[in-house]
Amino acid sequence: MNSQNLLMDVKDLRIFFFTDEGVVKAVNGVNMQIYRGRTLCLVGESGCGKSVACRAFLNIIRSPGRIVTGEMKYYRQTNGSMADVVDIAKLDPRGKQIRQIRGKEISMIFQEPMTSLSMMHTIGDQIIETILLHNKVTKAEARKRAIEMLDRVGMPKPDRIVDEYPFRLSGGMRQRAMIAMALSCNPSLLIADEPTTALDVTTQAQIVDLIRDLQKQFNMSVLYITHDLGVVAEVADDVAVMYLGKIVEFGDVEIIFHHPKHPYTQALLRSIPKISREREELDPIQGMVPSPFRRPTGCQFHPRCTQAMEKCRQIEPRITQVGENHAVQCLLYETL
Amino acid sequence: MTTTDTQISSPNKMAAPDNLLEVNGLKKHFPIVKGVFSAAQGNVKAVDDVSFHIRKGETVGLVGESGCGKTTVGRCIVRAYPVTDGTMRYRMRDDSVIDLAAVPEKELSPFRRDIRMIFQDPYSSLNPRMTIFEAVSEVLRVNNLCSPSEMQDRVSSLLRRVGLRPEYMQRYPHAFSGGERQRIVVARALITNPRLVVCDEAVSALDVSIRAQILNLLEELQADFDLTYLFISHDLSVIRHICDRVVVMYVGKVVEVADALDLYSRPRHPYTEALLSAVPLADPRGREQRKHIHLQGEIADPANPPQGCYFHPRCKFAQQICREQTPELRVLDKKRQVACHFAEAIQLNGVIS
Repeated sequence: MNSQNLLMDVKDLRIFFFTDEGVVKAVNGVNMQIYRGRTLCLVGESGCGKSVACRAFLNIIRSPGRIVTGEMKYYRQTNGSMADVVDIAKLDPRGKQIRQIRGKEISMIFQEPMTSLSMMHTIGDQIIETILLHNKVTKAEARKRAIEMLDRVGMPKPDRIVDEYPFRLSGGMRQRAMIAMALSCNPSLLIADEPTTALDVTTQAQIVDLIRDLQKQFNMSVLYITHDLGVVAEVADDVAVMYLGKIVEFGDVEIIFHHPKHPYTQALLRSIPKISREREELDPIQGMVPSPFRRPTGCQFHPRCTQAMEKCRQIEPRITQVGENHAVQCLLYETL
Repeated sequence: MTTTDTQISSPNKMAAPDNLLEVNGLKKHFPIVKGVFSAAQGNVKAVDDVSFHIRKGETVGLVGESGCGKTTVGRCIVRAYPVTDGTMRYRMRDDSVIDLAAVPEKELSPFRRDIRMIFQDPYSSLNPRMTIFEAVSEVLRVNNLCSPSEMQDRVSSLLRRVGLRPEYMQRYPHAFSGGERQRIVVARALITNPRLVVCDEAVSALDVSIRAQILNLLEELQADFDLTYLFISHDLSVIRHICDRVVVMYVGKVVEVADALDLYSRPRHPYTEALLSAVPLADPRGREQRKHIHLQGEIADPANPPQGCYFHPRCKFAQQICREQTPELRVLDKKRQVACHFAEAIQLNGVIS
């Protein structure tokens, strides 16, 4: 992967929440790259900071959270080959520039389509609003485009659905409407935060396939946030495994599933039930995710790690490149 | 061995000597009420003619998508609702057989000790104002099942068994994480020494690493306490892992019953095939070859199901007969039952080769 195809380059991103009980380091030094036309999956258990990290891409971190340090360089595709670089972390969250990017160039779909759609407005009105906001078109044109988008996401009878309210649609249909809205302005990056978790398996499969097809058509990058390793194996090109605010391993999907290096990734894969001829024993990760106020020292995973060494308690591991497109943060692989 | 044959036998006999529970023709309809006088406007047929059996010591999975009635079946078995029709023959400890569906409400309490339930969400299924000790021992106290000192011992030894420290039993649920709470819920279900435990999405709300811990715990407890599980879940990988046999439901009806491996390697009902094809497998190799079957349309409305086979509007094999006649759940071979007119004729693909 060459740097020309780079869409987003995140370096040492830290997002802290300053609460009354103390500082929660939700994202604590994240580095990742998103390439054009590829799908990056961010996996991790609840509380690892994956949702907070992806909200940072739109600069919609809610108070008391704040981006403390780090940069998120976004390589904008302008009309020429020359890319215009914007650091999203530095933008004013209410400023003009981020509002041009948010919802247009980078858009997002959420887990619960019922709570993220307004129930007081029709599906059409909500899509049209997005289109009107970012494009110089008339209302009639925007409506035509909204119907066209609904058709592309596989909505039956789009010209009728456009005037329906969200509560009249099933969960899968609502998620399709969300996707239509997210894609209505041709984004270069689609962020999908657990888009199928609330859906049934057959609907999940349809939405997963839909996002994959649309990605090809629109040639966009997708950042997929999920805790479901099955979905990761189906959609990802690259995988970032997150634990307590850090990306502990990054690599392409084949490497992560078949040659994982980090003990956490290995343990995660051993703890999921697989559909196979032989019934395998599950090997769960011992203990549980520590409280956000009492994070372990050194390597954050050491209290649950089966390969922990003495030095893991004190030394914080750095990112080690262990192969082309494969990096890991673990002392086992660090050559000092 | 077939449950369908039991309809002719006497009500106090089971079809097979090792059956613990035989559900036959179970129906649960909820009336749709409208208007000032709550006039019934038809029924939601949440469970519509469900039959299956559970053998002693085995784990039976009940799968299907949301709204298919799997939770309602579980709740009927613990008699959270009165059932509309059908029988649920249950073998007691003394080997006598009783129909749970016919037991009057007032005489249910011994069965409520014998058949327990574990719920999905450990956050909402524990009362925040009750300590762990109170929550786990509640059923013993309410029923006066043992003395206070004995109760203390029983609770603490069970808490230890499910992997919690008994010292913490005077704490309230908020002090525990999701995984620990689910262990508390498990302890509360097992405190009465039940024989059958209905696990309704017992691990669905848990994180990957915690889910594996609870699944292992449930398996250990099954061996230790001689438990039989009815495991209700929409997660087919979990079902494959924990179940011996699987019952697949669609819109209130059973469409297929088979041994887990048989079902996953060779489904015989088109809905089972579609359901299996949709399961994401945790292996990126060969994902280009895997094809999801996209079912047309939406799940049928249980208040207004289609004529004939409920699945026919979405089925690619549907013929005229499927639109007219509802297929019975019939015995295909000795380990398999299926409700499809063309089960023998069609070739379907599984997910285990």
